[in-house]
Amino acid sequence: MVFSLGTEVVFLVVCLPFLAAALVRPVYGVLGERTGYAGAAVALVCFGLLLTQLGTEAAVSIPWIPALDVSLRLYVDGWALLFALLASGIGALVFTYSVGYMHGESGLVGYYGALLAFMGSILGVALSADLIALFLFWELTSVCSFLLIGHHTEEASSRYAARMAMVVTVGGGLFVLVGFLALFVVSGSALGTETFSLVAMLEEPEAMRAALREAGLFVPALFLVAVGAASKSAQVPLHFWLPNAMEAPTPVSAFLHSATMVKVGVYLVGRLRPLLESSEWMLLFATLGLATMTITAMLAVAATDIKELLAYSTASHLGLMIAGFGFTVPYGAEAGVFHLLNHALFKAPLFLVAGIVSHEVGTRRIDELGGLRHDLPVTALITAVAALGMAGFPPFNGFYSKELLFEAAYEVAHAAGGLAWLYPVVAVFASVFTVLYSLRFLALFFGARPDGLGTVHRPPLTLLVPPAVLAAVAALVGIDPQFAVDSFVGWAVEPTALEAHEMHAGLPTSLSPPVAMSVAAIGLGAVAYPFYAGVRDAVRTLASVRVLRPNWWYDAALAGLDSGSARLIPTIQNGLLRTSVTWMLAATSALALAGYAVAGVSIPAYDGVGVSLPIVLVLVVAVAVTIAVAVAPSHIAGVLTVSILGVMIAVFYVLASAPDLALTQLVVETLALLVFLLVLEEVPEFYGNIDRRVAFRDVGLSVVVGATVFLTVLLTTRTPPGGGESIARYFTEQAVPGGGGTNVVNVILVDFRGFDTLGEITVIAIAAVAVLVLMTVRDGGDAT
Amino acid sequence: MRTTARVVVPIILIVSISLFLQGHNLPGGGFIGGVLTTTAFALVYIAYGLDFPRVLGHEMEPAESVFEDPVVVAYRRTFLSGLAIAVGGGLVPLLFDLPFLSQTYVILHDIPIYHEIELASALVFDLGVFLVVVGGLLTVLSVVGAE
Repeated sequence: MVFSLGTEVVFLVVCLPFLAAALVRPVYGVLGERTGYAGAAVALVCFGLLLTQLGTEAAVSIPWIPALDVSLRLYVDGWALLFALLASGIGALVFTYSVGYMHGESGLVGYYGALLAFMGSILGVALSADLIALFLFWELTSVCSFLLIGHHTEEASSRYAARMAMVVTVGGGLFVLVGFLALFVVSGSALGTETFSLVAMLEEPEAMRAALREAGLFVPALFLVAVGAASKSAQVPLHFWLPNAMEAPTPVSAFLHSATMVKVGVYLVGRLRPLLESSEWMLLFATLGLATMTITAMLAVAATDIKELLAYSTASHLGLMIAGFGFTVPYGAEAGVFHLLNHALFKAPLFLVAGIVSHEVGTRRIDELGGLRHDLPVTALITAVAALGMAGFPPFNGFYSKELLFEAAYEVAHAAGGLAWLYPVVAVFASVFTVLYSLRFLALFFGARPDGLGTVHRPPLTLLVPPAVLAAVAALVGIDPQFAVDSFVGWAVEPTALEAHEMHAGLPTSLSPPVAMSVAAIGLGAVAYPFYAGVRDAVRTLASVRVLRPNWWYDAALAGLDSGSARLIPTIQNGLLRTSVTWMLAATSALALAGYAVAGVSIPAYDGVGVSLPIVLVLVVAVAVTIAVAVAPSHIAGVLTVSILGVMIAVFYVLASAPDLALTQLVVETLALLVFLLVLEEVPEFYGNIDRRVAFRDVGLSVVVGATVFLTVLLTTRTPPGGGESIARYFTEQAVPGGGGTNVVNVILVDFRGFDTLGEITVIAIAAVAVLVLMTVRDGGDAT
Repeated sequence: MRTTARVVVPIILIVSISLFLQGHNLPGGGFIGGVLTTTAFALVYIAYGLDFPRVLGHEMEPAESVFEDPVVVAYRRTFLSGLAIAVGGGLVPLLFDLPFLSQTYVILHDIPIYHEIELASALVFDLGVFLVVVGGLLTVLSVVGAE
């Protein structure tokens, strides 16, 4: 390195894309469609800054919410850097590609803004060392993905796909959050202090595991993280959102739904591997990964659309990575990390090629395409390199990482025996399908050219250069894998590895069992290829069974929720204020009382009345007035009686030496009376006789609400934490020197507890806005 | 009703403003002052409806709906600017490297008539509270009242 920058530079790397996203609109005003180049420049700067950190392993942090030990901690190591470099590098190419691909489209400001924000979030995920920050960036990637999938907002299919991706990935993110909280809870006993710091946890993996097991949280935490990772990385049975997400513009598919966002789950699995490694870990992730690898590879064969094929294939390769990390042998982590890189290098160009095909030919249907090598020679060459890598042919890059997976599977099976032999068998079975669909994709460019194909334009350079660059790197990795391993990949494996292991990658020199597995996969795939149509139809028949399709379950669940709430709403929200209030009060009381019951609070002992005679008198009048309100003969009488009650309370405040409260009470009472007078004109005099059951219910509800309030006041005013009167005394003593006012209440409101007051006035403002909106909506017709 | 309002409203307004200003040291403050001011305007509203600026001699175009009525728009602006004042005032301490919403005060001496005036920065925040309360309550009152 010519010059060295501090690790602090990674803050800049994470912030820069967000900053750029905020500036997209003015930049677009100047550059127009060439904004993509500016985005590429931002990505390149990030890429360059990250390159300066090669070889570094360090953490940097700035405090964020010190009181909760949440801080923006960033951490650089091989694994983080590999992921971040991929995101920024492919980001630069995708921005360049977008200039050509999105030519003449509308909504480019939002497109580039979301793309930049996405890149910032993904860099944040890669570099976060804090679980809360990681979670936030994780969910931000989902939000950006939602925006980008739904780029064509006017199309229903686009909106459907965006919503589905949002529901699945954000829902999965919530599982991750709960899993993280479990880690946080046990970190107290394992590390001495409760912390969200992932780095601190990774330093003491054994202590963390022991603490998790002791608390009985190990399997739950593992399961929660697995659900989150599976939703994000499209693992079976949550894989169905990924093919739908292909509604997004193709550059987005290449960037988010193949190279980076869907790998976030894989990334997290790799990150937590040293922390949660165990026999359950292997069982869960190896099974999950291999099942996904097989099922989605079969579905890829059944695909009708080239992007659909690539989407299922992506899920299949993500399964390979998850399975790799699942195997708790050294080859496992090497397979996962190396395949993450290789997959990005061959799948992103394939997506970009699919974009070129649909852009220049005008169709994406597999059956209508063929023999394109005459029209698109360069594209054909790119496809050959990438597709053979995807199939795992030697000497292309995918071969080496798949070979590592076979070695891991074989080693595990050899050591465990019995059912574990299923691992290598399933891996080979899935790879046969991988070979099949890879060859099918390649066949788009070879063989006979269908007559129905019209004229095909040559793609512009902006479309051609990005996939060419990626394919060239993929080819280089294929030619000299050991160089890639020595210079970078080996270092990236270290943080995910369980023990030190010298990593090797290269063409096999002798026929070991894993090599035989590769040979079998490629051989069987080549033999089965002539029968492609038969295999495809068989898989299609199987996949058309309704209960086997997760997409059907998703639709059914959504429809069920829809009709369920449609049936529930007339009961609890029928538009009558009294119904809403009844349910709201009942629910609030029930929740509060249940909370008290669960917390096991005890009612403080009764220690005499302790109030003076005047106060007792005032309170007696107040109680008498309350009864009078209930039996008031007319509305006017009732309202006036309520006012008397308010005044009595004000007098009580005066007697209890709280003039501010008394004043407030009086003023509010006056205003309330005025409002009542306004409303009363509109209210009918007589409602009719009250149903006895309704009256009974109302009385019961009133008693429950009263009891809840009574209990709450009793419990909350008992003894403030920190001991007795000290808070009151502190405020009284500090009011003049600290706040410069002798009115303690006001000083508390505006100074000591100013933040609370700010929250309260915000609520008032929101209420006013809500009333305005509700009224406008009602006047303006339907509210869609 | 209108006669009473003409007499009472100015008194209420003056009292509410004095309550607001003395709030730091004596009973009062932004919230109480705000509610009292709202009461004054509510009284005006009951007596005159939304047309009261015309009573004061302002020319006014009749609005198409209550939402575009200039008076309601003014109410809306009031609570929005109140919120802005409260938040903006809270941000100022950040410039001096103090936490959000930190407050301080200075005592000015040798002022004619009053001799000594205490200027508390909290007054700015309290003004925000005042405006939000007045604007928010009056918006709700006038919009709902128009029904």
